[in-house]
Amino acid sequence: MIGFISYAVFFSTVASILAIAVLGLNLQWGFTGLFNGGVVAFFGAGAYGTLILGGTPQADHLGGFGLIYPLALAGGAAVAGLLAWVVGILTLRLRQDYLAIATFGIAVTFENVMRNAEALSGGAKGFRGFERPLRDLFGDGFGYNLAFFCFVLALLVGVFLFLERLVRSPFGRLLRAIREDEDAARSLGKSPARVRLVSFVTGSVIIGLAGGLYATFYAFISPQDVLPTLTFQIWAMLIVGGAGNNRGAVFGAFLIWGGWTSSGWALSRFAPVEAQLYTGSIQYILIGSIIVTMLLWRPQGLLPERLVISQAGQPRKPRTTGSMT
Amino acid sequence: MTALNIKRGGRIALAVALATTALTGAAAAQDCTTKIGAVLPTSVDWGKPIAETAQFVVDQVNEAGGVQGCKIEMVLRDTQVDPKVGVDAAKALVDLDGVQVLLGAVSSGVSMPILTSVTVPAGVAQFSCCSSSGAFTTLAEEGKTKGLWFRTFATSNVQALVGAKVAKDQGYKSVAVLYKNDDWGQDIGKLVAQHLEAQGITVTATVAINDAQPSYRAEVTDAIAGQPEAIYLALYPTEGISVVREWLSLGGSQNMILANSLKSDEFRDAVGLQYLGSAHGTDTSSPRVESADAFVARYKERFGSEPNGPGLSNSYDATMIALLAMEAAGKDAKGSEVAAAVARVTDPAGTPVTADAAGFTAARDVLAGGGTVLYQGATGNVRFDENGDVSAPAVIWSFTESGTQEDSYISLEEVDALAGAGN
Repeated sequence: MIGFISYAVFFSTVASILAIAVLGLNLQWGFTGLFNGGVVAFFGAGAYGTLILGGTPQADHLGGFGLIYPLALAGGAAVAGLLAWVVGILTLRLRQDYLAIATFGIAVTFENVMRNAEALSGGAKGFRGFERPLRDLFGDGFGYNLAFFCFVLALLVGVFLFLERLVRSPFGRLLRAIREDEDAARSLGKSPARVRLVSFVTGSVIIGLAGGLYATFYAFISPQDVLPTLTFQIWAMLIVGGAGNNRGAVFGAFLIWGGWTSSGWALSRFAPVEAQLYTGSIQYILIGSIIVTMLLWRPQGLLPERLVISQAGQPRKPRTTGSMT
Repeated sequence: MTALNIKRGGRIALAVALATTALTGAAAAQDCTTKIGAVLPTSVDWGKPIAETAQFVVDQVNEAGGVQGCKIEMVLRDTQVDPKVGVDAAKALVDLDGVQVLLGAVSSGVSMPILTSVTVPAGVAQFSCCSSSGAFTTLAEEGKTKGLWFRTFATSNVQALVGAKVAKDQGYKSVAVLYKNDDWGQDIGKLVAQHLEAQGITVTATVAINDAQPSYRAEVTDAIAGQPEAIYLALYPTEGISVVREWLSLGGSQNMILANSLKSDEFRDAVGLQYLGSAHGTDTSSPRVESADAFVARYKERFGSEPNGPGLSNSYDATMIALLAMEAAGKDAKGSEVAAAVARVTDPAGTPVTADAAGFTAARDVLAGGGTVLYQGATGNVRFDENGDVSAPAVIWSFTESGTQEDSYISLEEVDALAGAGN
């Protein structure tokens, strides 16, 4: 039983971290219509940033600034934001698919830089030398994982509430206006380029925060953690959960990650011995089928966007229309 | 059943058990099952044989009566070469299946987070066949592996040492090093450069080769600029072929030193044997003992082919040592006890045992009597240092019409001597 709880906490921690990243992407894609194909670059920037800022000195790569953890984590998120700002200025004039290709390129570049810039990132062997915060207090085992899970959960709730407020605010309506029709928004005197940049950077900071938490949890990061697969996983979570709906984003993260891991577990347990060697490949097929089925059967996601028609000056009483489609 | 019958039945069972033990050395009672975990990249083409080999060991040990009279069940999970997936699988194995021994992973980038966030906190012993990163040694030196980490992958430093020895023996004055741009390649590239310089040989360039590029002209031009007398190649065949073709077409020297990853027919055929006359390869080797032959023979029986492939002998040894250590640690041993027992099954002064079912049975008897054994594995007389790293004997080989031939054998003692001289 204790084993089950221990695993459940571990699973929920990773799922919550991924959910934070999905929320960040949801702000960019779901609400602003920015196709970020390089999620993993911002995730990775947050991860490497946190470890470099918060790690102990290492002989063979940068790091060892030993900042207290909250600062290191915030710093990591800021690094992701900075990267997003630079990338955004260069690429945000690009529309949808072009932006997707450009950001995808950024992500591949990021991975290659981390793989090669050994003095910065430790190269292919990965970045070590980070002590998980408050280890002395909680030890190394279940207690630590539980405490860390609470911390991650608090941040997830915080990010969720922040985004819920943000998208219901006038700024949120502006984001959707730009998503739907940029020219119309411009004709109302708004500056789409600036707003898109703000949304892109904010979303990337959130993704970077997730990356920082991820690296903290493993106390290690390597180029293998920032392969394009992660971008795909996070996108799958958002699409299945429901783009444009923060609840859907969180739900999708837990659902997809749950399916991803439990399919492996179930196969290892129930598949016949002769088939054990092929469970890895079977799992890939299963995951792919689930996503394809979802796209065919319910392209708007499990929890679709709820269109809110707001009326200025009135206490808000949202009427939903979108869910009927 | 009456009491008398029970007694008689017991006697018969005892007699049968004694007879079986006498005949085959195997214990009969196998009502219990002990689980071990394996996290390996079975969804990747080269990962599957590694997992097959591990299962092969488990089958042999079960055939020999299992560990402490219990059948071993290996629960295999795929890592998809994704650290998240691998760590989750490892955590599920430790928490849900309660394994005390974990085999895996292959990639260092997966093994490392498993080690830091699953096995070390839970006190589970981890045996990896193939993770090569130097980061594990550093981590162990810092005492953060708590002695729970072992790997049977010895090639990087041993091969680098022998590669430098080849360069010296051939009298090369200058060498350019080209390496695959991953953790293995970066590691071996750096080590080779270091050992070459220690031998007084100039390293004119160290060039990283990324996978799957259509052309390596730029990299090769970099390498050729210093006009080295020879090149050292730590590459996989696909990239190795392109690089060597461009190298030769630009007029580079045919003096080549190759890592074991290029010991492939594909490479020889694509480059052409006429260009490989002065190419020397290095590899870690099986010891010149019967056990290594036994491994090859049994492997051929089971799979119908030679155990040629990355990590197969390493996987065999990792699994066998893990199971021997479980036997030595006693019934229901915790991971830390299993890890502590590894020294008892890889003791240079112990009774030598072979790498097969009979070897396991022999080891069981010695261990039961409180003795220690020396496991003579598929990669050699495996001996871990205090960081869980191994050394191994080596060979120098070259290409022939039909495959490769061994030019010279470098024993473990000579390798250790080279390592001592290199430092």
